[in-house]
Amino acid sequence: MGQSKSRGKTITNYVLMAVILLIFTIPLYWLVIGSVKTNMEFNQVPPTFWPKQFELGNYLTAWKQLDFKTAFINSSIVTVVCTVLNIITGVLAGYVLSKKNVFGGKLILGMIIATLIVPPAVLLLPLYFIITKMGMYDSLIALVLPFAANAYTIYFMKQYIDDIPNELFEAASIDGIGEVGMMMKIVFPLITPALATVGLINFVGNWNSFTMPLVLLRSDEKFTLPLKQALLANATDVNEWPLILAATVLSIIPVLIVFIGSQKMFVKGIMEGAVKG
Amino acid sequence: MKSMISKLKSHGWGYLFLLPALLIMVLFNFYPIIWSFIVSFNKTKAIEIKQAGLFDIPGKFVALDNYMQVLKNDLFIKSIGNTAYFAIIFIPLTLILSLLLAVYINKKFRGVNFFRTVLFIPYIISVISSSLIFLALFNSESGFINAVLKQFNIDGPNWLSNEWLAMPVIAIMSIWRRVGYFMLMYLAGLQNIPTSLYEVAEIDGATPFQRFRYIVVPLLSNITIVIFVLLLRDVLTVFQEVYVMTGGGPGNSTVTVPFLIYNEAFNYLRYGTAAAMSYILFMITVVVVIFQNKFTKKKHSTR
Repeated sequence: MGQSKSRGKTITNYVLMAVILLIFTIPLYWLVIGSVKTNMEFNQVPPTFWPKQFELGNYLTAWKQLDFKTAFINSSIVTVVCTVLNIITGVLAGYVLSKKNVFGGKLILGMIIATLIVPPAVLLLPLYFIITKMGMYDSLIALVLPFAANAYTIYFMKQYIDDIPNELFEAASIDGIGEVGMMMKIVFPLITPALATVGLINFVGNWNSFTMPLVLLRSDEKFTLPLKQALLANATDVNEWPLILAATVLSIIPVLIVFIGSQKMFVKGIMEGAVKG
Repeated sequence: MKSMISKLKSHGWGYLFLLPALLIMVLFNFYPIIWSFIVSFNKTKAIEIKQAGLFDIPGKFVALDNYMQVLKNDLFIKSIGNTAYFAIIFIPLTLILSLLLAVYINKKFRGVNFFRTVLFIPYIISVISSSLIFLALFNSESGFINAVLKQFNIDGPNWLSNEWLAMPVIAIMSIWRRVGYFMLMYLAGLQNIPTSLYEVAEIDGATPFQRFRYIVVPLLSNITIVIFVLLLRDVLTVFQEVYVMTGGGPGNSTVTVPFLIYNEAFNYLRYGTAAAMSYILFMITVVVVIFQNKFTKKKHSTR
């Protein structure tokens, strides 16, 4: 009796799971099958739920029209450099704000955290102004430098470093290890999980960034993938939606690969972050 | 004396480590916030922006003139209404759905890991990509949604050309993108609730709903606050989805505050009013956060 009841429960569980998964993946399904339809089939009413004919040529055209190679390289440079700089500045600042009793440290931390509630729209115009005045308008540096440190990363790192016992640093200090040594031998090794999480969150954020590139770039050959993608969508005739969808699949694939390769760390980091926060 | 010198020495290291982050925060966060604030009280022409130096504040002081103009601007008022309409759909649904999903996968059964991975995928897809996907999904003729409705002999509406339906479509997309992320945050909270609490409640004869209502919901209130603030942030950044999906239409029904600020600054080159708008947005954020803090503190102290 009890067994059949629990089996019934398991079956309900799986049915529910299947339904939720189905609802969630419909947009992705529609994206992928739309990207391989011919223009004619895509615009036919009512639409088909399975393509009659697979038109893989859409991907070739999308690749060319996105100028995928250039845009991919631009996006990669911005994303990787920005993520690495963010981690370095974040760990250094987090370490000091957590373990060093520097004068004004509390105030600095408070001000950094306060910037988290500033709506990004407030920064749009002044960042454009500052970047232009610094002579960095329409360069990839403009997409890196302003974002090479951010409040979220600094705060997250501080929280993590708080958990490292002070005794470790004291012992190291007695052994005559300097500050740089402490970073390399204690801080970095002990916060690797945090580094992975923050790194991934930064990676995804930078890879998908659109508004700042839109405001700070002008020339085609410097455009990042999302910018190219939006421009292609704007310029493309409504009859050529399969092309837009193929371009979308191409833009998603790189970040999807990174995610699938690291999703365990991702999940762990977010869950730990939630409890800490 | 000696200890003070050594203290300064070690603090010197501290400041050196702090320097890179601080320089960037000051130049690209603190300074812009102040710059924007001052410009919001100035009348600034495009030419003045061009000619100003990095640490100049361009324009002429006009006191509250920009704010007055903005508050009299019907489109601005409408954009606040639109943003609120979005928030009313987006925030409660995201909170409820992510909590329910978290409760659902907080059980041990095979496939849970796969489930949460799949639900998390939309979060890594850019807003541009998901906007394009949802345009295809909700297209009145070639879209999936109306095709399914057709199977039931329902003529689906023209979603994105309808003044009342365009914003909900944007909200649904935003919910789809974020639920997996917040589900994980809630899941973390759930796994921190001691199982003994449930056992005691069960002995007392609490129904599953009562357990949910009196154990799960209150004990997760801290995480709910964090998620609420994050959702609020999302509400106040709705720009890209409007830029790609509707361009603010139909009939300005999807013009959000950030979208209007962008247009004001970069299409109409009205910097002063754009800055004033962004500061009104800022003030709204601050008020909501303060109100929210007060409210949650009170709730805690009465318990």
